[in-house]
Amino acid sequence: MLILATAYINWSALWKICVAAIIGGAGVVIVFGFLLLGVKIANNAKSGGREWAGYALAGVCGLFCFAVIGAGIYAILNKPVSKKPAKKTAAVLIAPSYKSTS
Amino acid sequence: MGSTLILILVVAAGFCFDFTNGFHDTANAMATSIATGALKPKVAVIISACLNFAGAFISISVAATIAKGIVSPKVLVGGDGLELVLAALIGAMTWNLITWYFTIPSSSSHALIGGVIGATIVATASSDVNWHNLVQTVIVPAVLSPFICGGVAALGTYMAYRLIRRLGQKEARTGYRYGQICSASLVSLAHGTNDAQKTMGVISLALIAHGDISAVNFSVPFWVKLGCALSIALGTASGGWRIINTMGNRITNVESPQGFAAESSSAAVILASSYYGYPLSTTQVVSGGVLGAGLGKKVDSVHWNVIGQMVSAWVLTMPGAGILGGVAWAIADLFGAHANAGAIVICALAAAGAFGLWTLAQRNKITPADLDRTNVSVVEEAELSGVPAALAEA
Repeated sequence: MLILATAYINWSALWKICVAAIIGGAGVVIVFGFLLLGVKIANNAKSGGREWAGYALAGVCGLFCFAVIGAGIYAILNKPVSKKPAKKTAAVLIAPSYKSTS
Repeated sequence: MGSTLILILVVAAGFCFDFTNGFHDTANAMATSIATGALKPKVAVIISACLNFAGAFISISVAATIAKGIVSPKVLVGGDGLELVLAALIGAMTWNLITWYFTIPSSSSHALIGGVIGATIVATASSDVNWHNLVQTVIVPAVLSPFICGGVAALGTYMAYRLIRRLGQKEARTGYRYGQICSASLVSLAHGTNDAQKTMGVISLALIAHGDISAVNFSVPFWVKLGCALSIALGTASGGWRIINTMGNRITNVESPQGFAAESSSAAVILASSYYGYPLSTTQVVSGGVLGAGLGKKVDSVHWNVIGQMVSAWVLTMPGAGILGGVAWAIADLFGAHANAGAIVICALAAAGAFGLWTLAQRNKITPADLDRTNVSVVEEAELSGVPAALAEA
């Protein structure tokens, strides 16, 4: 069973996808929750120090969220081109390695 | 080289397929935002349409084109290439419309691959299909991706609800509604970059088969890019309310933290796998995300009968679209090789079928007004935590 799975699954890519998904998926949800918590702490603060702490927490979490969005856009813009065919023939469409017009 | 009329039919069918792809997949990005009232339905689909349009242009390379490494290239660019591509597009488009009628989210990409395989098998032989690559690049990712996304969404939802206890219902739910808009927009953009370009690949393939563009050092003509971008954007803007209802209301009762978790997880899985060279079905990933978000809050909040219907449709998509593509090829072939009449007949039959399904769908129509939940306050959302019974059963 394991041999069969190894033949069909690229484990190297799979674990990277899982890690990216956990950071970009669950991680963002949790950090966004802390961002909201930071804003709440700042809004309800009775002392200046607590207010700044709240804003600092929200700011750091906001930066993390923006970084993840930036990474997402980077991934869209830098999708890997599939393997190039041995000869440039009409098969390029089936295994594309072409440039766009724009 | 095939006839110019058949080429025109292929281009038209390509744009029509892109249109069906757009309205079929609007739900992937926007269903949860609509279900939680983060966005009005029409506003949501217009945002999604603009991002799909932009997505079709911003990516500089096509990472995922139909049937890459699955069907022998010589078949698609050979003498029967145009007719074969037309039959494949008709099979995929018809399957999209059937699943839309039954309100089931299914993968347009898998339908297109199925259509190509079906038409190829009927036209030539099964030896022209690389089954190992099909399993490796399509089936395995299709099976794994909903589980990965579901697991991540479940973890995110579970943690979000733990935080909500400290945050308070109103602040949390309002905040997560804003987050949802952002994550859903990212899914829309990713969808545009993946799906519009698949159709660009199909049309360019037809142009090569017809001899209009060179196969060596070729580039996708601008009018093809523009046409595909417009088709997918118009399809997205037209709604696809039936599938939005299934994705947003019938799998589980989605609340804003769950919607944010589902969309963020989906965006992360889709973009990460696309970056590492494994383009996935957006539909299956998002469905897995919504399911995981339901499980992360409460296991018995998931409507398993709907999940069962969806999984059945996923399993049937490639064989179903393949059979439709094969039948389309067989009908066209009755009129002889390269005959215009055969191509016209299969297009007419597909148009008649589409009109019939659309007419039937009008009997049980779902409108944007039915889905609008922006008038539900975050407090009501927390208290009611449900959807109108009529929608849940539609």
